[in-house]
Amino acid sequence: MTASSAVELVSLTKVYGGVTALDAVDLSVPEGSVFGFMGPNGAGKTTTLRILTGLTWPTSGSAYVFGADATSATSTVRARIGFLPDVPGFYDWMTAEEFLRFAGSLFGIDRRTLDERTGALVDMAGLSGVTTRLGGYSRGMKQRLGIAQALVNAPALLLLDEPTSALDPLGRKDVLDMIASLSGRTTVFFSTHILSDVERVCDTVAVLDRGHVVAQAPVGELKARYGAQKIVVEVTQASEQVERLLRRTPSVSAVTRENHTLTLTVNDVDEARIAVPAAIASVGAGIVRMESGEVSLEDIFVELVGSER
Amino acid sequence: MRAFGAFLRKESLETVRTWRVWVVGGMLLFFALSGPVLAELTPQILRSVSGTSGMGGLIIEVPDPGWADAYAQWVKNLSQIVTWAIIVMLGGMISSERKKGTATLVLTKPLSRRAFLMAKFVSHSVLIVLATLLGAAVTWLVTLLIFGEAPAGVLAETTAAWLVFAVMLVAVMTLLSALMDSQVSAALLGFGVLAGLGIAGMWEPASRYTPAGLMNAPAALLGGREVATGWPIASAVLVAIVSLAAAAAVFSRKEL
Repeated sequence: MTASSAVELVSLTKVYGGVTALDAVDLSVPEGSVFGFMGPNGAGKTTTLRILTGLTWPTSGSAYVFGADATSATSTVRARIGFLPDVPGFYDWMTAEEFLRFAGSLFGIDRRTLDERTGALVDMAGLSGVTTRLGGYSRGMKQRLGIAQALVNAPALLLLDEPTSALDPLGRKDVLDMIASLSGRTTVFFSTHILSDVERVCDTVAVLDRGHVVAQAPVGELKARYGAQKIVVEVTQASEQVERLLRRTPSVSAVTRENHTLTLTVNDVDEARIAVPAAIASVGAGIVRMESGEVSLEDIFVELVGSER
Repeated sequence: MRAFGAFLRKESLETVRTWRVWVVGGMLLFFALSGPVLAELTPQILRSVSGTSGMGGLIIEVPDPGWADAYAQWVKNLSQIVTWAIIVMLGGMISSERKKGTATLVLTKPLSRRAFLMAKFVSHSVLIVLATLLGAAVTWLVTLLIFGEAPAGVLAETTAAWLVFAVMLVAVMTLLSALMDSQVSAALLGFGVLAGLGIAGMWEPASRYTPAGLMNAPAALLGGREVATGWPIASAVLVAIVSLAAAAAVFSRKEL
């Protein structure tokens, strides 16, 4: 157990009727980080969040929240958590303000503080002046209220399951701005398959695929790690010949070409740095530029997850 | 404890803001108002058709109605329609919150699953008790107005006996709703429990010592018979406690 971890998963395994949703997952979420939990649908993201919030239990392994076992988390631990499920359910007969007051009262928040927070959160959710009962809300409105209710206790750990999935572009921007503003003060752990959201606000990410964590690192480190395996080279001539030759080079695993610019995915960077210029020279072409490629989280995600499908 | 109070307040508010209060309160009030009127009119209706060609000339002798007939109507409605309505309504007490996802939101806050169940049990019991007491009061008043006589003691005794049974039923339905994933399944099991108690009540020892005795008690009390309700009440309280403890155990292991 890392001393500064808000969330720690140790060999966490969950099996549903013979189907393994999580397979010995190890994960550590540093306190104060905005942690993106990426993965395709069915990867096990929601199951992880359900275990962390005590809605279900692991088959084996452990999940800790602020050092306490999540499966037997006391009210004291839950008082520090804010949670938004993937599809939040509300009491149709309440208004947004009533629901926020009710949610706050479950935490034992005093009336004055609750008055202030309710007003601020209703504003943040863009629901000021909306008197409709929750039964008449759209999916996006419910999602925004769901985020607001997760913040009512000013949580130390905010767990969000696909928080932007039902939002329009403006709503998404607002939510991402809000998440970014919490950085350093609140640990945010949010699951998503929208990679641009992660790229925009997360400082650390983990990629989950079919119940396995296939990568976990700070975003910059992950990009540097995978960026080093991309080489962009611009040649003076005979780019088609160069492409054919590089495809046969053992240290190069993939080649794409656009005019005289070739983007190479390499499996051995040191060897490629020698083999690539040699191959270009062998067809009588020159090098205009040769540099490490820029990778997006999407490239990394596709490489990590897509390659196994 | 604070979370229990907050959730109980929510339940109470939900009772008055949704169909719940209208179904339970409205139904009991309707029976309270219509029971004495029906008791007064039924003999008149029967006499009006007595001896007519439609009845094949059959003469029906009907005694003059009285307060006992009005109370009998009240007791019959409580032990039949109201009891069935409670079973159907409470079948979804827990499962509907799980299905709608509201349980997920509240149970990830500092509200224990036991407090969640207890608040449900308390709020539904209070609704049924208050609506029944109101109904009994209206029955007494309307009976007094129509028949000029309405002994309060016997009405209080019969209503109290049924109320103990009803509160036990709320506890049993709390267990069944925590156990089953659908309202229909829980309600069907509830009817099974009711049928089982009804059958058990035909056996004298079961009627004397188990909650089955409470099903027979109101009619027996109304008939002026001596009814020992001590054991049935004690066993009903025991069944209620065991049901709530079992509900808490089942629900604490339930994946939401």
